[in-house]
Amino acid sequence: MEPITQEDIFLILKLIEESKYDEMHLEIGDLKIDVRKQGNRASVVDSKCVSEKTAKPAVSVPPPEKMKKDERASDTAGAFTDESGLTPIKASLLGTFYRAPKPGAPAFVEAGQNIAADDTVCIIEVMKLFNTVKAGVSGRIAKICAKDGEMVEFQQTLFLVQEAGDLDGEMRKSA
Amino acid sequence: MKVSRVFVANRGEIALRIIRACRDLGIETIVAVSTADRESKPAKAADRAVCIGPPQAIDSYLKVQTMIAAALGSGADAIHPGYGFLAERPDLVEACEKNGLIFIGPTADNIRKMGDKLLAREMGRKLGIPVIPGSEMVATSEEAQKAATKLGFPVLIKAAAGGGGKGIKTVHVPEDIKDVFEEASGEALAAFGDGRLYIERYIPNARHIEVQIIGDRQGNIIHLFDRDCSLQRRYQKILEEAPSPVMTAELRKRICDAAVRIATHIGYQNAGTIEFVFDQDQESFYFLEMNTRIQVEHPITEMITGVDLVKEQINVAAGNPLSISQYDVKVSGHSIECRINAESPDRNFHPSPGHIDAWDPPEGEGIRIDSHCYAGCVVSPYYDSLLAKLVTWGTDRFDAIKKMQYALDHFTISGVDTTVPFHQYILKNKDYLEGRINTRWIEDTVLRGYGQ
Repeated sequence: MEPITQEDIFLILKLIEESKYDEMHLEIGDLKIDVRKQGNRASVVDSKCVSEKTAKPAVSVPPPEKMKKDERASDTAGAFTDESGLTPIKASLLGTFYRAPKPGAPAFVEAGQNIAADDTVCIIEVMKLFNTVKAGVSGRIAKICAKDGEMVEFQQTLFLVQEAGDLDGEMRKSA
Repeated sequence: MKVSRVFVANRGEIALRIIRACRDLGIETIVAVSTADRESKPAKAADRAVCIGPPQAIDSYLKVQTMIAAALGSGADAIHPGYGFLAERPDLVEACEKNGLIFIGPTADNIRKMGDKLLAREMGRKLGIPVIPGSEMVATSEEAQKAATKLGFPVLIKAAAGGGGKGIKTVHVPEDIKDVFEEASGEALAAFGDGRLYIERYIPNARHIEVQIIGDRQGNIIHLFDRDCSLQRRYQKILEEAPSPVMTAELRKRICDAAVRIATHIGYQNAGTIEFVFDQDQESFYFLEMNTRIQVEHPITEMITGVDLVKEQINVAAGNPLSISQYDVKVSGHSIECRINAESPDRNFHPSPGHIDAWDPPEGEGIRIDSHCYAGCVVSPYYDSLLAKLVTWGTDRFDAIKKMQYALDHFTISGVDTTVPFHQYILKNKDYLEGRINTRWIEDTVLRGYGQ
C-alpha cells in the first residue's frame, strides 16, 4: 500500500479534532497511530502547551487525594501536536496566572483575538506583586494554555500565537 | 500541625536527601528546580518538580517570594531549605509564618541572634563559655591596629555578619593591617551588606570541632556529640570525621554541655551546630559560631548515633517532641566523610564543570554515598561543585579509614576532574593516620607535598 503522507496525517488529525471522540486508534498494516484529544484528563492543564519536554503540568490547587504519578507524565500526553508555526508566550516568572486585571473584569485577551506585541495579555502575581505580561509578538491568539488563578511555572507556555503575516502557518502546523 | 507535603527549596544531594527522608515518612515532596535542574535526580525523585527560574541562583534558588509562591501554589504545608541558599534567611522564616507554612528549621529570632558574630561572642562570654580572645567591633584601621597590637600578631580580621568560613582574613604583620582592614570592610559590605569587623587572636595549632544539637518546640534540647572538621582549605571543609579523635571524655562532656547551654539560652529549635576552635597546645576550646541549619557533614553524626537528623528535623518542625532523649544518644564506632567535588586538585582546585560520562560509586558494608549524580548528568557551572559525600563507618577510626581507602580506590568518575585523588593522598598520609593535623595542615603541609 501507499506510504502514509504528511497530508494523510493532517487529515487524520483534522478528523479527530472535529469529531466528538476523545481518542482514536488507527492501524494500517504495520503502522499504528494513537491520537488523544486534550482535556480528557481533568487535572492536567493543557499539557500540550507545555512546550519544554520536561516541564511538568501545573496543578496549583492541591488535589485532595495523593498526587498521582501520571499527573506528571505530560511528556507523551500531547506528543502528536506539532506546535511549530505557533509562537508561545511564556511565563517570565513563577506565580499565579490571571487573565483579567481584577475578578469579574473582562479578560485581557480571548482565543481568536488579534494582538499587538505591546498588548498586555495577562498578569502573573507573586506574593501580591502583580506583573503584567506583554505579548511580545503580534498576531492572533490561537490557544490559551494556562488556567486563570492557577500557578504557572517559570517558562511555562501561557498562550500560543499565530504570528501576523505567517500565512502558511496552518500548513506548517502539520509538517 | 501536620506535615504532609514538603516543598524542598534546594537542589543537588541535599534536595535528594530530604526527598528520601520524606518518602520514608510517607510525606509527599515538591522540589524547586531552575531550568538547569529540570533533568536532575531530585526533579525525578520528587512527586513533582516546579520550575522557579533561570539557572542563576540569584533569580531562582535565592528568591524568597518565588519559593513561597511556589510552595503555596503546589499545596505544600512545609518548606525545607536544606543548607546554603535560603537556609539561614530569617525573612524566609517570617514569610513562611505569614503564609501558614511550616519552616523546617529554627525560628527567625534564632537565626538573627546567631548570624551576628559579635552578638554571639557576647552571649558566649555571658554564659561563661570561653570565646577566642578578641576585640569588640573595630570601626577604623587605627582601632584595628590598636586591638591587633594588644592581642599580638598574627590576628584574624573577621566580618560580624560572616560565617561558614567567609569574611575572614589573616594579618601577619602590623604593616599590613591598614590595607587588609580596608579590603575586608569593603568585601564584608558587598557580601553581607554589613561592613562591621572585629579582630580575633590567631590560634596556630587548632582543630575545628563542632557539636550537633537538635531542639523541639517544647524546649527540649539534646546534643548528638561532636564532629572534627579540621581538614580545611581556605576555611572550606574537605574531610570530616566523628567523633573527634583528640577529645578526651572529660573535654567531650564539657564541649557538648557548652553547646547545649548556648542552644538552650536562645531557645533554639530544630537542628543546629555549635562550632568550636580547639587549641591543641593549650588543650582548651573556644566557642566560634553557631550554624542554624542542617549541615553538609550531618551524615557522619547519623552514622555514629543511628539518628536520622532530617527525619527528626521534620518531626520537631511539625510540633512533636523529640523522638529521642539525651540518654538514648550513644556513640558507636567512627565515621569519615570525604567531600567529592568537581575540582582539579592539580590546578589549584579549579572548578571542573562538565558532563559526567561514567559514574560508578563503591559499594559495601559501612559505605554510604549521598549524591545526586549519575552517568550522563551535567555538572553545572552555576552551583557549588559538590558531587558526592562519600561516607564510611567502621568499628573504630582505623576501620573507617580502611573502608574509606577502599571506597576511594573503587570510585569511578570520568568526564570531570574530582577531588578523589586528593582524598586518596590524605588517607595514606602518615600525619593524618596518626592524627597529627590542624586546620592549617592541608594548606601548610599537604598542598606543598601534593603532586611532588
